[in-house]
Parts: sequence; C-alpha cells; structure tokens
Amino acid sequence: MKKMKSNRTSTIVLHNLLIAVLAVIWLVPIVWLVCTSFSAYSGMNTSTFFPKEWSISSYIKLFHPDTVAQFPQWFLNTFIIACFTCVISTMFVLMVAYATSVMRFPMRKPLMNLGVILNLFPGMLAMIAVYFTLKSFNLTNSYVGLIMVYSASSGLGYLIAKGFFDTVPRALCEAARIDGCSEARIFFQMVLPMSRPIIVYTVISSFLVPWMDFVYAKMILNAGISSKYTVAIGLFKMLDKSLINNYFTQFCAGGVLVSIPISILFIIMQKFYVEGITGGAVKG
Amino acid sequence: MEKKERGTALLAVKGFFAVIAGFFADFGRAVSEGDAFVKLSLLWMGAGYFKRKQYIKALLMTILEAAAIIFTVKFAMSYVPKFGTLGTVQMEKVFNMKTMKSEFNDYDNSFTILLFSLFSFVVWFAFLIVWMRNVIHVYELQKMAEKGKHIPTFLEDLRAYKEEKFHITLLTLPVLGIAIFTFIPILLLILVAFTNYDQNHMPPNSLFTWVGFDNFMSLFGGGGLTVTFGYAFIRVLGWTLVWAFFATITTYIGGILLSLLLNSKNTRMPKLWRTLFIVTIAVPQFVSLLLVRNFFSNGGIVNTICSNIGLTGFLRDIGLVSTSYIPFLSAPGWAHVMIILINIWIGVPYQMLIATGVLMNLPSDQLESARVDGASKFQIFRKITMPYLLFVTGPALVTDFVKNINNFNVIYLLTENVYTTTNQAMANSQAKEVDLLVTWLFRLTQDYYNYKMASAIGIVVFVICAVFTLIAFNRMIKGDREGTYQ
Amino acid sequence: MKVTKKVIAAAITTAMVIAPAAGVQAEEETISLTVWGAEEDQTLLKELTDKFQEAFPDQKFDIQIGVESESTAKDTILTDVEAAADVYSFASDQLTDLVNAGALMNLEEVGEALSVAGRSLDDVKNDNVEASVEAASVDGSLYAFPRAGDNGYFLYYDSSVLTEEDVASWDSLLAAAEKAGKKVGMTFASGWYNASFFYGAGFTTGLNEDGTTAIDWNGTSPDGYTGVQVVQSMLNIAANPAFMAIADGDISNQLATGELCACVSGTWDAITAQGVYGDGYAATKLPTYTIGDEQVQQGSVAGYKFVGVNGFSENAGWATVLADFITSEESQQEFFNQRESGPTNKNIIDSEEVKANIAIAALAEQSAYSSVQMVGGKYWDPAQTLGELIAQGSVSADDEAAIQETLDTLVEGVTAPVE
Repeated sequence: MKKMKSNRTSTIVLHNLLIAVLAVIWLVPIVWLVCTSFSAYSGMNTSTFFPKEWSISSYIKLFHPDTVAQFPQWFLNTFIIACFTCVISTMFVLMVAYATSVMRFPMRKPLMNLGVILNLFPGMLAMIAVYFTLKSFNLTNSYVGLIMVYSASSGLGYLIAKGFFDTVPRALCEAARIDGCSEARIFFQMVLPMSRPIIVYTVISSFLVPWMDFVYAKMILNAGISSKYTVAIGLFKMLDKSLINNYFTQFCAGGVLVSIPISILFIIMQKFYVEGITGGAVKG
Repeated sequence: MEKKERGTALLAVKGFFAVIAGFFADFGRAVSEGDAFVKLSLLWMGAGYFKRKQYIKALLMTILEAAAIIFTVKFAMSYVPKFGTLGTVQMEKVFNMKTMKSEFNDYDNSFTILLFSLFSFVVWFAFLIVWMRNVIHVYELQKMAEKGKHIPTFLEDLRAYKEEKFHITLLTLPVLGIAIFTFIPILLLILVAFTNYDQNHMPPNSLFTWVGFDNFMSLFGGGGLTVTFGYAFIRVLGWTLVWAFFATITTYIGGILLSLLLNSKNTRMPKLWRTLFIVTIAVPQFVSLLLVRNFFSNGGIVNTICSNIGLTGFLRDIGLVSTSYIPFLSAPGWAHVMIILINIWIGVPYQMLIATGVLMNLPSDQLESARVDGASKFQIFRKITMPYLLFVTGPALVTDFVKNINNFNVIYLLTENVYTTTNQAMANSQAKEVDLLVTWLFRLTQDYYNYKMASAIGIVVFVICAVFTLIAFNRMIKGDREGTYQ
Repeated sequence: MKVTKKVIAAAITTAMVIAPAAGVQAEEETISLTVWGAEEDQTLLKELTDKFQEAFPDQKFDIQIGVESESTAKDTILTDVEAAADVYSFASDQLTDLVNAGALMNLEEVGEALSVAGRSLDDVKNDNVEASVEAASVDGSLYAFPRAGDNGYFLYYDSSVLTEEDVASWDSLLAAAEKAGKKVGMTFASGWYNASFFYGAGFTTGLNEDGTTAIDWNGTSPDGYTGVQVVQSMLNIAANPAFMAIADGDISNQLATGELCACVSGTWDAITAQGVYGDGYAATKLPTYTIGDEQVQQGSVAGYKFVGVNGFSENAGWATVLADFITSEESQQEFFNQRESGPTNKNIIDSEEVKANIAIAALAEQSAYSSVQMVGGKYWDPAQTLGELIAQGSVSADDEAAIQETLDTLVEGVTAPVE
C-alpha cells in the first residue's frame, strides 16, 4: 500500500518536472529578452547569457526620446490605431458572421465561397495596390489610412465568429421572431449578449494587429517622420545595421514594454479567449 | 461517398448559375411586360418610383444615376480608354527657372491607369446590377399597384432594412471594405502577371504594357528571361509544401500533447503553467523571432555556449559541421530544421489553448462509461479523445495549412539578411533554399521591383492553395455541418 | 488632340525657359521641401536647414526632415517615387537604379537654379574631388551632390598586438594574429567586400546601356591573373584558422567581443574600434594578398554618400539649392566635426584635422587602390553566394575546374537581363 502511494507521488513529481522543463525551454528566450533589456551594454551581448553589468539605462533612454527612439510617442500612436482598428474590425467581423450564420438570403453561399477564395491569395502581393489605392484618396502617411488597411478587410476573418454564432440555438431566435422582434433587435439584444467569449476573442485579436504588423505600416507611413511611427516599425528600425549596436538593448526593453500589457490582457481574458476560439474552431 | 461530395459541389455551382439565370429572366420579364414608366426606368432610374408616388426614392435613384454618370465622365473616361495600351505618353519635364519649379507634361502612369480602370469596371459592374434590380423592383411595384396592394412608404422601406433585409445593413460596409482593400488589389495583381511591369518599366518614369503569357512561360522554363527561374521555382515550391506540412502537424500535435499534459490530474497549479506558456504568444512575433534569430546567429550566444562546452568541436569531428560555428540559421538542412523547431516554439502555446478548450468539451458520459468498462488511459485517448479532437479541429487543420503556405512572418523574420545561399543557381534567381513562395515574391517586389514575376508566382500560389483546400475541405467537412448544433 | 495639346504645352514651357531668368524675385508662397537623411544625422540636418532658411531670408520655407537610412533609401524611394522626399541622401551604389527610375534630377537641367545662391554647377564639380564627381555622374551629367567619401573600407587593427609590418600582407597578418591567439575578421559574403580581391587583381565590373552588368571575373585580367587564382587566394585566407568570416553587418558586434585583433570595415565602426582597441587603435590601407609567389594589393570599393534631388520634386529649383547647401564646404565641415564623416570637399580633405583622423586617413591611403563599383541589381545575390561558398570552403582550392565552373555560374547570373 505504502509502496503504491510513493509510486504515485513520484509520478506526480516526474509529471510536474516534465512540465517545468518544457516551461523553461519555452521561457529561455523570453528571460533572455528581459535580461538583455537590463544590460548596461547597448549592443548585442553574444558571449554570456546574463549581462555582465545590470542597468535600467535602456528603459530610461526609451522614455527620453532622441531622434531615433521616440518610444512613448510610438506607443501612443499604436494605441490609438489599435483602438480604432479594434472597434471597426470587431464590428465588421460580428456583422458578417451574424449575417452569414443566422440569416438566410440568396447571395449567402456565393459570398461565403468568394470569401474563402480571397483568403487563399498571398495578401503580401496586393500590398502595392492597396498602397496606391490609399494614395489616390490621399490617405498615405495618415493613421486613417493605416486603420483602414487593418480593419477594412477584417470581415474576411469572420469564420471563427460564425462558428460561434452557429452554436447559438436556432429555436431562441425563432421564438423571438414570432414575438415580433426585429432582426436588428435579435442581433443586438439577444445574440450579442450571449456571445461574450467571441467578442472578447475578436477584440483581442484585432487589437493586437497594429502592434505586430511591420510590413504595411512601413509602407504606408513612408514619409520617414519618426514621431509618426508605430511601435513595430520603430523597434524594427532599431535593428538597422547602423543602429543595432547602440539600440539593441533598447529594442529589447521596448519589446518587454509592449509585451507586458498584451500579456496581462491575455491572462485576464484567457477564459473567454479559449471559449471563443473553440466555439469557432469547432466548426472551422 | 466521393460521388456524393462531387454532387454537392456540382449542386452549389448549379445553384449559383440558377440564381444568375433567374435574375436575368426577371429583368427580361420586367422590361417586356412593364408599363411605360418601367421602360422609362431604363433611362431614368427614378421614373418608376415617381409614378408610384415614392418621391424620395425617385430622388435618391436619380442622384445615384447622376453620380454614376459624373463618375464615368469625370473619372473613368480619363483612364479606361487607355486600358488597352496602358498609356502612351512618356513623362517629360522642363525646369522653369523663373518659378524655380519643374513643369511636367500630361504623362500617363500605367499603374494608375490599370488600377483606376479596374476600379471603374468594378463600379460599373455594381451599378449595372443596381440598375437591373431597379427595373425589376419597379415592375414589382407596378404589379402591386395593379393588384391594388398598399405601396410601401419610404419609412416602411427603410424599416425593411431592420427586418428581412437586415443582412444588407450588416454586410454593406464590410463587403465594401473587402472589395476596395482585398478584391480590387487581387484583381490588379492578376492583371499585372500579364504585363511587363518590372524594373525597366516602372511608372511614373516609364510605361509598361501587356505581354500575354510571357511571364508564365519564363516561370516554367519555357525559354524565358532567366535560365534558373524554373529551377528555383520548383525548389522553393517543394520547401513551401514541406514547411506547411510540418509546421501544421508539429504545432497541432504539440499543442494537443501539451494541453493533455497541463490538464492532467497530476498537474499541480495548471493555471500558472498555462500562463507561463501564454506569455510567449503575447510577445509580438517580430520581437520574439528577431530575438531568437540573434540567439542562434553564427556569432550568437548559443554558438558561444556550444563552442565553450565543446559541442561545436564534437560536431565538427563527426563531420556534421564544416565551419567554426554551428550554422543554425545559415546552412540548408540546419536552417530548415531550426525554422520548424522555432515555429513549434511559437505555435504550440496557441494550439494548446485551442486544444484545451476542445478537451473541456469532451463528451464526459462516453469517458465515464469507458472508464467503467475498465479501458486503460491510453485506450481512452486513442479511442475517444483523439477521434473527437480530430473531428472537431480537422477543418481548422486545413485552414492552418493554407495559412502556413503563406506564413510570411516566421520565415522572413528568421532568415532575411541572415541566410546566404550557397546554391549558385538559386542565387541567380534571387531565391534561397529557405524561401517560401511568399517570401521569395516579397523580395522580388521589394528589392528587384519584379512585379510581373511576383504576380505570376502569386497566381501559382493561389492555384496550389485552392486545389489543396478544395480537396481537403471536401474530405474533411462532410457536407454542410452548419445545422449540427442549431 | 492630345498631340497638339502636348505641342502647345511644350512651346509654352520652352518660351518660359527662354525668357530671361534674371532676378528671380522672392515669391510670397512658402516653399515646402522634405529632406531625408540617416537617423544619426537628424540633429545636424535640422541645424543645416535652419541655417538654410537664414541664408535666404526673403523666401519662406517649410522644411520637413525625415529618417531614411542611406543604405536603404533606394528601396523606399522606388516603391513610390512621387511620395519620396525632395532632397535625400543615399549611398553611391544606388545611383544607377535611382537614375533609371527617374528618381534623380539631372542636375545639368536645374543647375541654373544655383545662381540664386551665387553658385554654379561648375563650382560643385570643382569643389569636390574628381573621383566623387565622376561617381555621381552618368553619361557625363551630374546627378547628385557628393557629401561624404567615407563609404569605403580599410583595415582596423590593434597596434598593441600587430606591428606595421604585420598588417602589410594577409600572410603576415594572419600569422601574427594566430601567434597572439586572436582573429582577423572580414565579410566575404557580400559583393561589396569580396569584389576587393578581384579589383585588386585588375578585374572589373561595369554597367551596360540596357542596365545589365558586365563582369569578367571568370577570365584573365589585364594584369595577367586569372579569376581562379583570385578565388584560390581567397580560399587560402578563409581556410586560415586565424581568419573569421563575418556576416554582413555583424562586424561591429564581433569587434565588440574583443576577439578580433584586426578587421576590414569602414568609418562607421570607428567608434567601436576605438573603444575596443583603446591606445592600440590604428587603421591603414588593406593588406596585400598572395597569388602564386606574387603579392597583389587588395583593391576596394570607393563608396560615397550623395545628396540628390528627386526627379519628381515640384520645387526642383529650391530643392537643388538646398541639396547644394547641405553638401557645401561649411556643411561638410560640420558633418566632419559632429559625425566624423569623411569629406569629399578638396579644402577640407587637405585640412590638418582631417588628416589627423586615423580612420579617414586610412581610407585616403586606400583610395589609391579603390575603384567605383558599377554594377546592376543582378550582381548582389550571386556575388554574395560566391563569398559564402569561399568563406565556408565549399570549393576546394586545388580543384581548378570546379572553381572555374563556379565563376562561370556567377558570371551567368550577374549578366542576366534585368527584368
């Protein structure tokens, strides 16, 4: 009896040890990121894992902008863009998802098929056309243009949300219709309140887009005015050959600062995120 | 089974054409059987509404028609007539000393002509549909009037957009956004593949024009411009497919295993562990990947450690490495494996989240009865958990595969400016062994302005994705499952 | 219809040009100009444009300064020429591509505008060293203003480890480094660096009319060396245990580790090198290398930094005046004072302080063996691959046939038609 118990304890220990080892592997680069950001040396440290001298100077420098690094400004810019993108994208995604999931109309299937086909194209290539379209509306070098690029096509990413709406019981909607509710009321007052997970999921994913994108942003904000950059281009430019030696630790510090709010967002919203994505991924 | 699937696909196509045919039939009937005002609506779109005393609608339609005419005259006519040649007037300029300014002639820009002609076509097409629908609708009004039914007022019409036409309210803006920012650019891209838009023909300084199928000929080695383009294409395509396969499978399996591990009863503090893994998702990819790339660079920290502990020396002794460093991200083979491993690092936590959610929904009654029957853990996993997971996440697997074919970020961030190919034939076509089709064509446009070839490759990528998705979707999604949960 | 319109327009503009340009009076309107320069030059550019406004008090300017690194200027500009800055700095190797895309104003056409500042294009050509003017010209027309002549490379070394005799040739350099337990670093995997061996042996690259590259590295040079011999010499250097092949752009990192006692790099690493070598900080021309039993002086690429005027700039006249101002003698002096940038202006080059600058002096010493690199876009990838092949020792130095084949493939790729 006793033997069995110790056997079980050792299984648990081994089990948790395995997870711990995996977690360490996963966290090594992150730890390195954090450590390097506290290094006193401004270039890349290639000889030791931990910095030779610790310092918070790169964080201080980040908040004292020079002509290259204007982190607070970038952060603000990205935050503004992210907020607008997030609102518009979420609206678009939910609208398309609801229309294709709950409503029935003749063009529904053709539109959905077209959506699938459009998703298959390498979007990278269409970039130059998007750029010149924006330019003809005089929207390059403006946040409005960038927000449009991030959110205008967001309707194409409706599949996960549609999958979620598909799980909303049909009978409820029918009953409401019989009670004389308008479609709009069903959408706003019945289905949306039931869909918190998928809303959270959509909000998080669309909020993250401007923080991650460096290709479109670089192309559209092409006037070279550093104070107009988003965090992604700003940090990306720090790794320029002529700058990396003076800015690598600042790049790391910037990376840490961007990751903190996103991590917190993720940790708090974890539950909804999992529910939202699986509600949708279940159906694909 | 197969037959049935092909049947449904066929049915969908058939249905699509039936809708179109019906639309034209309605239009024809409206024109032939409509009264004078319906016929007048062909010219003046507000006419039919005017007759039925729907004055506001009549006014709106008239404004729309006027807008379409103004658009055509003021905008479209300055581009569309040049669509056939893509412009003939070369840019010329003269410097005027008096104003200190350059004065340009009224030159053509092939790209703008192409883009705005396309834009005009799309607008015209949309207008054509509105125009035809308008006639059909006016004819319906006529019939309603003949039967003495109530003609809806403007407010009643508007209310319909909250009721049975609510989908139009919902879809208009998103569809417009997709049309302008995705659909038109993609059409443009397709057209560019049939032009000679490259470094020697770059607007605004010079013009480009149509060349037919020349670019596809040179892509497939049919006596085109570069000898090695076809050679490079095959290799890049091969790696793209290998990558997409492994990237999808490894993260998928890894995610399931990790979530099983974390959700096991033996795990202490599962929330904490899960959070630790999630942190890696939260660091923006361009930060984490650029970091990892420096981590593994030839002169990077991992190499320093490896050479300090003698691993580099050992690998050199057994002949795996010929250089004084381990070429983690700079030699073929090594780089390929590392890229997939790093992608596991990036992708597994995300898949773990999905798998966690799915596992939570496992049908518990089945599990319980299996346990009662004395099934072993492994048997339960193999017979119940795994089939359920596959059933539920199978379609997502296909989407992931397509996403990985076009996975720009991982490859670009890990290899750009770091990886140097030692294959001269690849180098002669500006390709690298680790390139995906997307990163290759990104370089072709960004560094070599070879838009025509990039577009041709883009079309090929599309065809591959489309074929794969069609086959896979038909196999994995058996029919339309929308109704399952409703 | 269109043709007649064009003819009339042309006639009018010609008439306007012929009209006496005397006394360009200050206009009421504000002239908007944008200037692009490297990140590290932003503060200085601001000072210079402020001075520019002071120099022309009668004309109001609205000058915006943007960041665009000189080494990547071309990529951004060619994506959309019309959106690019009126005045921008760029590295000399991008000149031909920029000219082909119409992104650079032919200065002979607007040179007249300089009269506003009491200068002429000839002044520009006379003020700057001949080689820089030649590098900024295509078919005899000047396309950009030379600003800096320091975009080339030479040898940094630690004089506390290596003597002046040691650094004279690669053989002695590597031998001394090995004895000291240190390494010598150079970037092989870049067509900008590895061409130095070929140029040294008398090989050339050139640009044809149609934009393709002419290259003769698979043959025999006028000096009587074969391309195979050059590659063999490079392979021997790369195989030396004291040699470290460094990835492009990674030199300053490696320098900072302290493992290198010498390296081939340019003025941009001067501060890093100074920090690492301390009192031993020294620089000189590139060493000679061995072909057979002869010593051949390693060549190099003479790179410049230019300031150009956008061909699609509306205010081309004032943009030209501003570009000239940024590259004038006083401005180049400021660039030297604040950024240690090597000038192209003859007077400043001859000044004592410039001569005293170790890095710039070494560059000047090397300039006797440097040449302007004329290549098209198809050159870079194949040349980079050649360098990597040599650095990794993928070809054997004894296998002449294989080396010849490698060079033939290189030439085939480099000379491919531009598309």
